[in-house]
Amino acid sequence: MSVKYVPVQWNANKWVYDAALLVFVAIYIAVFLRLGTPEADVSRPIDAAIVRMRAFGTCAFFMLTAILCIGPLARLDQRFLPLLYNRRHFGVLTAVVAFTHASYVYGWYFNFTQFDRLEAMLSSNTAFGQLLGFPIEALGIFALVILVILAATSHDFWLSFLTAPVWKRLHLLIYVAYIAIVAHICLGYLQDAENPLFAILFGAAALAVAGVHLAAWRRGAVGKARAEGWIDVADPAEIANGRARILQLGPNERVAVFRYDGTHFSAVSNACAHQNGPLGEGRILDGCITCPWHGFQYRMTDGCSPAPFTEKIPTYKLRLIDGRLQVFAMANPPGTLVDPVIVPDLAAPPDPDTFQMEPAE
Amino acid sequence: MAATLILAVQIYLAVGLVVAIAFLGYGIDRVDENARGVWIFRPLLIPGIAILWPLVLLRWIALVRGNVEGQGRYRPPLALQPALALLLAVIVPIMIAGALVIRQDGPNEARAEMLEPPR
Repeated sequence: MSVKYVPVQWNANKWVYDAALLVFVAIYIAVFLRLGTPEADVSRPIDAAIVRMRAFGTCAFFMLTAILCIGPLARLDQRFLPLLYNRRHFGVLTAVVAFTHASYVYGWYFNFTQFDRLEAMLSSNTAFGQLLGFPIEALGIFALVILVILAATSHDFWLSFLTAPVWKRLHLLIYVAYIAIVAHICLGYLQDAENPLFAILFGAAALAVAGVHLAAWRRGAVGKARAEGWIDVADPAEIANGRARILQLGPNERVAVFRYDGTHFSAVSNACAHQNGPLGEGRILDGCITCPWHGFQYRMTDGCSPAPFTEKIPTYKLRLIDGRLQVFAMANPPGTLVDPVIVPDLAAPPDPDTFQMEPAE
Repeated sequence: MAATLILAVQIYLAVGLVVAIAFLGYGIDRVDENARGVWIFRPLLIPGIAILWPLVLLRWIALVRGNVEGQGRYRPPLALQPALALLLAVIVPIMIAGALVIRQDGPNEARAEMLEPPR
């Protein structure tokens, strides 16, 4: 949280996460190098350098596929949240693997040119007007530049400096990179490989990404209306103790109304100050709202992180009218203290097994 | 054309390196309290600043002038992400199907063999 920056934030869980990633990459590369040659196209001889570049290239594709699946899976089922926790390290390692792939391509196909190697790579194929034989290098370079930008801006400094919404928009480029990589493979390796194994694995992985995003999109559809004045939230008894009801107030604004201590209710921004994670999908731990993504914590009444941390989120006015909770649609400045609404005679809270979400009227 | 493009990128990154040195040596302490007196993490920021230096300059100037956003910091692009997710979900199957349609079957030849390194 907001203490002095360190180069890389590691703890026991992140060590395990990173170790698992490295083991996966090592096993994948080893297996591909072992099996890749006989699985390759046989229309012309294949050498070890090409097998290595294909090993790292396909590894980067499958890693990026996993990264893109984590977000929607965590939204569909909270058991996937631990995978989200250290996704930035996953992304940096993917950029390194993709860069290794590009290094092999650059150092092999363009190693014997009499021209500058970069010039040769950019100008050897300019047949942009045809599908078969399309210069897939351009697609690969485009995707690699995006992956490098995302890896280079993965430090927490960038979140604080650019603000989470700008950082988030920048990192949404991952979708563009993935589309470019799929096109890179569709017009490259997929046209070349004789054995159907990779085509099957590639198709299954890419369609899985498409499928989970479609499912998450259907669940998380966002309205465009902007709410004004006092908005009806719910009957207090409908909100599980220690959990929240999320309402959308505007195109990019959501509020989370938390119930805690059985009878207390407070409303805060649903966007964590760190990466704008969905606070309303988190729980109350140690007396604080805890973000489900990276564990940032905030007090319910004033939206401030406990000392020594300094993050703040906006709070909202809340009231009880005719047995219904209502929230005022205009947020208070971050860190504004708002007394909780106390409802003493509440029925037993419902089972808090899942978060609850309801669009604003 | 390619040489011109490479030269333009090199100039862009060289300017970015100058901005990175200025920002990490002078500016960062004035715009981020958590960076004051901490140097060890700063080299990690050099690639990002070199690539995004126009954005860094704009943000640096805004922070020095006190033009900080209010509630905007807590308004993530809720609508943009689902739109991109939908685009991805639609375009990926189309691309794969298209690639399989235009795919040319190769001849049935012998199994590939690993070449010996040159002696």
